[in-house]
Amino acid sequence: MTHPAHHPSEELLLAYASGAADEATGLIVAAHLAYCAACRLQSRELDALGGSLLQELAPVPMSGGALDAALMKLDGITPFQRPTRAASRDGTPVLLRSYIGGDLSDVRWRRVGPHLAYAPLLRRGATRARLLRGVPGAETGAHCHAGLEYTLVLKGGFSDETGRYGPGDLQVMEGDMRHSPVADPGEDCINLAVTTGPLRFESLLQRIVAPLFGF
Amino acid sequence: MLAHARNVSIPRRTPAFRSTGLNLPMTPQAPELNALLGRVAAMRDRAAFAALFAHFAPRVKAYLLRLGASPALAEDLAQEALLNLWRKAHLFDPAKASAATWLFAIARNLRIDAIRRERRPELDPEDFMPEPGPAADDGLVLAAEEARLRAALKDLPADQIQVVELSFFADKPHSQIAAELDIPLGTVKSRLRLAMARLKKMMGDAP
Repeated sequence: MTHPAHHPSEELLLAYASGAADEATGLIVAAHLAYCAACRLQSRELDALGGSLLQELAPVPMSGGALDAALMKLDGITPFQRPTRAASRDGTPVLLRSYIGGDLSDVRWRRVGPHLAYAPLLRRGATRARLLRGVPGAETGAHCHAGLEYTLVLKGGFSDETGRYGPGDLQVMEGDMRHSPVADPGEDCINLAVTTGPLRFESLLQRIVAPLFGF
Repeated sequence: MLAHARNVSIPRRTPAFRSTGLNLPMTPQAPELNALLGRVAAMRDRAAFAALFAHFAPRVKAYLLRLGASPALAEDLAQEALLNLWRKAHLFDPAKASAATWLFAIARNLRIDAIRRERRPELDPEDFMPEPGPAADDGLVLAAEEARLRAALKDLPADQIQVVELSFFADKPHSQIAAELDIPLGTVKSRLRLAMARLKKMMGDAP
């Protein structure tokens, strides 16, 4: 596997480590980590920073009976066991399988026109995580963003004005940053996308159609 | 039952952590905490658990209070975090994290679960190829690294440590941190960058 070239910012990794990132944003950061040893290391260092800060915090005493209450409960606790899961047939990360409810090849796609399809994974307020799929050469159409748009390539790749993105690459776009992504030739491009607000398309047709699909 | 905690035999300190000769009970450092956690994992050692509880529960409580939990909730979740330690001690790997870092992760995730009613997506151990980790007595190496990290933290200028702390303990976007400190967002970001670069340099430069 080639190494990703486009990474989350340190600020984004910090938001994930501190727990400030919401679930959809956390999902796309964690999915990037599945592809990227360098960011896994950095993420571990940021966790260690959290551990160090915890260690340095001035302790606030627990109530008098807290320890005894905890000790009373210990015998009733069964050790945690990781759930056993059926192996993925197509190499879909376990992390994503839990959100998809299966493998990437099991996804039930909803078509948006002849070249594009999507599948919703998670929605919290205006923030949504979805899978997007484009046939080779598919164009999303030029757009800006009302909020942030994170895109992580899972299979295939795409290019736009900002560069070329392959498996594991994370693209972050916001506000006035305009781009018109085109899927690479060869194989379908499958992305995980998180948006914190609607996309703003340039074409009139897309401006009318996009909200119907929640984009 | 509290008496057990006093009977825990604390592993001998490594010279790096030997301090100035005070005879007062000292805050247990990473190697001791790791060893205590190892005893909980290996033999369900209740005395070791009590010692870990005495050390960590008040810190986890402080962490949750800093993040805005009510005192009652902070107490409940700190209790729950320590029960999770008992439940998951066998999964603790001192080559990957110190006991403090491991507890931090437990507390962070409990808070997201209990207060935000979300989960924190995490990488599954099956999701990547095992990497060559630190070598044999890795736990000690890691513990020493974290001691250096804490020392490095103490050396940061006050305005930098403030934004690092707020990033972990405020659960607010940087824009809001900037508003509350009455400084531009760019300043928050640049302080954070400076702090991170400095921590990395100090970690990298250390022997």
